[in-house]
Amino acid sequence: MVRVEEPAKGGFSFDLCRRNAMLEKQGVHAPKCLKTGTTIVGLIYKDGVILGADTRATEGSIVADKNCEKIHKLAANIYCCGAGTAADTENVTDMVSSQLELHRYATGRNSRVVTALTMLKSHLFRYQGYVSAALVLGGYDVTGPHLHAVYPHGSTDTLPFATMGSGSLAAMAMFESRYKEDMTKEEGMALVAAAICSGIFNDLGSGSNVDLCIITKDGVEFLRNFQQPNPRTYVSKRGYSFAKGHTAILSTKVIPLREQVTIEEGDGMAE
Amino acid sequence: MAMEDANISLPFHSTRPHDTLREGLASYKQDAVPVHPVQVIQSNFEKHRRQTKRSLIERAYGSAVPLRMDIDRQILSRFQRPSGLLPSSMLGLQSLTGELDEFGFEDFLNDPQNSESFVPVDMHLGMEARLGLSRDPAAHTLL
Repeated sequence: MVRVEEPAKGGFSFDLCRRNAMLEKQGVHAPKCLKTGTTIVGLIYKDGVILGADTRATEGSIVADKNCEKIHKLAANIYCCGAGTAADTENVTDMVSSQLELHRYATGRNSRVVTALTMLKSHLFRYQGYVSAALVLGGYDVTGPHLHAVYPHGSTDTLPFATMGSGSLAAMAMFESRYKEDMTKEEGMALVAAAICSGIFNDLGSGSNVDLCIITKDGVEFLRNFQQPNPRTYVSKRGYSFAKGHTAILSTKVIPLREQVTIEEGDGMAE
Repeated sequence: MAMEDANISLPFHSTRPHDTLREGLASYKQDAVPVHPVQVIQSNFEKHRRQTKRSLIERAYGSAVPLRMDIDRQILSRFQRPSGLLPSSMLGLQSLTGELDEFGFEDFLNDPQNSESFVPVDMHLGMEARLGLSRDPAAHTLL
């Protein structure tokens, strides 16, 4: 009987799990993964969708990246903000972006937001919450503007305004009090920026600057660092200068190389 | 064979011996159980999804359709290269199951062609293992 050969597959490798468990038992802690503490928001206004995010990435209680990008592109008309473990959000959005491109080639049409939503949802549910990515997905397709919130275990919400992340309650307070239907672009941008600022100032996991992304039928406007409410107060142009004597010299040893090396005179290299 | 059907199988590390300092004392139970819940998901998900799809098609269209799909599957999975350096590209099988249109972690993470411990198997030993002619007890690891 001919046995069918299963080809070696790529993907995750679990070779070191047992070793890591042994090391943890002996007291060696794994390095903390980079999380985006975060405030991410989305809003539907008269002509489309506005997505907003802060720009701080934390590693435990340390700020790892003061100006990271949390708004990822899934397609030309679909963007996604990500909160949770930074590696998970980036890799999931990259994978779904590739899957959407394959899907576009197969169907010959522009991607719809519900397609991206279904792909993200089934992927996250498959991994039962081990992929910790909370996303706000927004876009404008042939059926109009759409906004969805996706939770790490795979459930989704379809809403006119959504917030996620550790600063979501602060941002939701702003939305609940000031949201109204059919806002203009300026009103929408002001409200989203105010919601992100509320998260930046009231939540420790969010900080630095405000990024905005406006998606309409005509295209996308990506405003990186739209507002910078936390500038560094003073940066010296000269940089650091250390005078001689700052570092204590413990010992000095001089080896004259002329005694080790013989120097010969000769012709240069021939052409 | 029953051992092929069971999910749990004892791995035989032909490339490196058991590392006691890093992994603890060797035991069969340790090697047989999966180490991480995601490993369980990865190993069972595809089979489970295929079975679910098959049973849904059977209920919707009758038992002839999934039987025909199974026969197509068996035919297409026999087109393989002889074991050696090049892995078999199961193009027909992938097109039937829809794998050609999918993109997952195995497409960009840990490509087996790039792994450091890649040991190219001898073609003759591989064919013997595939045909079941080999008397070597560790022959099933070559598959």
